[in-house]
Amino acid sequence: MPDLELFTVATGSSEPIYRQLVELVRRRIAAGQLRAGDELPSVRELAQSLVVHPMTISKAYSLLEAEGQLERRRGLSMVVAQQHRGAQHSAERAELLRPTLERAAKETLQLQLSASQALALFKTILRETKDLSP
Amino acid sequence: MNTAAAARRPDTAGLALHAALPAPEPSVEVEDLRAGYGARTVLDRLDWQLHPGQVVGLLGRNGAGKTTLLETLLGLREPQAGSVRVFGQPVAELADSERARVGYVPQQSDLFEWLTPEQMLAYFRSFYPRWNSAKVEGLMSRWEIERDKPIARLSGGQRQRLSIVRALAHDPDLLVLDEPVASLDPAGRRDFLRELVEQVIERGTTVVFSTHILSDLERVAFNVAFLGGGRIALHAPLDALIESCLRVVGTAAEVEAWCARHGAQVLTRSVLAHGRLQALARGPAGDALASAAGATLSVERVTLEDLFLELTR
Repeated sequence: MPDLELFTVATGSSEPIYRQLVELVRRRIAAGQLRAGDELPSVRELAQSLVVHPMTISKAYSLLEAEGQLERRRGLSMVVAQQHRGAQHSAERAELLRPTLERAAKETLQLQLSASQALALFKTILRETKDLSP
Repeated sequence: MNTAAAARRPDTAGLALHAALPAPEPSVEVEDLRAGYGARTVLDRLDWQLHPGQVVGLLGRNGAGKTTLLETLLGLREPQAGSVRVFGQPVAELADSERARVGYVPQQSDLFEWLTPEQMLAYFRSFYPRWNSAKVEGLMSRWEIERDKPIARLSGGQRQRLSIVRALAHDPDLLVLDEPVASLDPAGRRDFLRELVEQVIERGTTVVFSTHILSDLERVAFNVAFLGGGRIALHAPLDALIESCLRVVGTAAEVEAWCARHGAQVLTRSVLAHGRLQALARGPAGDALASAAGATLSVERVTLEDLFLELTR
């Protein structure tokens, strides 16, 4: 079972705790850190470890199950769904960038910048970051 | 503040949570409650329901009447008007057997100061048929409460922990906590929250607690109720509120038009400088709309703290 330390949540966010957990599990699966058949902590274990209401955990798990990230095994334990054998296709991984880019888009509008100015800056940053990475 | 619409239907959002279940009898039902001190009215035409198994965080500013409300729903304070029912019975006529299903942690410790914790707990044990000695022993040890010292000589934190132990000792079906962690340090608060998650919530206990520590509330209160203007302005699942509420700022006309166009219900309005308006709006799909702002109109998501500031005015 994945280490309970893998799961963290923050309070005081505009993102509800269940939503933070959904995003966290999605990213771990997309990056291949959680793979097909890996068992997740039970609702009870995770609720106790994070000290949050168990319904918050079951809400996150149910959502992840509904979107095909997790599967419910007999005995109610949750495992990573069979199709997630490794890192995901790029289109799916790209979708995970959306929340971050949505924030960037909003700030672009607040700063009254044009789309082309913002995109040019993003391209530059991408290039710089790539050059810096080994 | 415009919460009249919300106050008329205090549990609208709660319905979604319970829609799949047959409606059980509320653990607590408050109708048209008026309460106060002499000529001063603190709570006025307040309606509220707590459903079995709900964990509700009660939020309100200092002096809003949280303690008055909690004391009234326990039958410790007589209402000036209106009715309070606990487990379906008028609280003033609650049988002893039903009263024994209620646990209460008062804001001010009313413990028997001259007794030791050991003596005090022995005294209370005689009143409760369902006293859980193993739980009491476990908590007294884990929470390191001195057993043989007069309560008057315990620290504020130890007294508060003892008060919580006493309230949990008989495995209550309804647990009412008035600022239960006010004198606990972060470690003590975490111990208390852990006990709530591991034992109390697990048993299906109905819990209502008031606190100003929003981070604690966010962890364990699946539902929140905001007390403002003498009423419960809003009672809803916290997740849903954070996702559906937005802060809309712009000229008055822009804000009103935006809310109307998106079918968002305006919960509160405040006038800013230069004729600008800030509204807390609850949209049918608030989250998706957050990115729909223009250059002069801003639409932003909110945190629990934002909701507290807006909804407890």
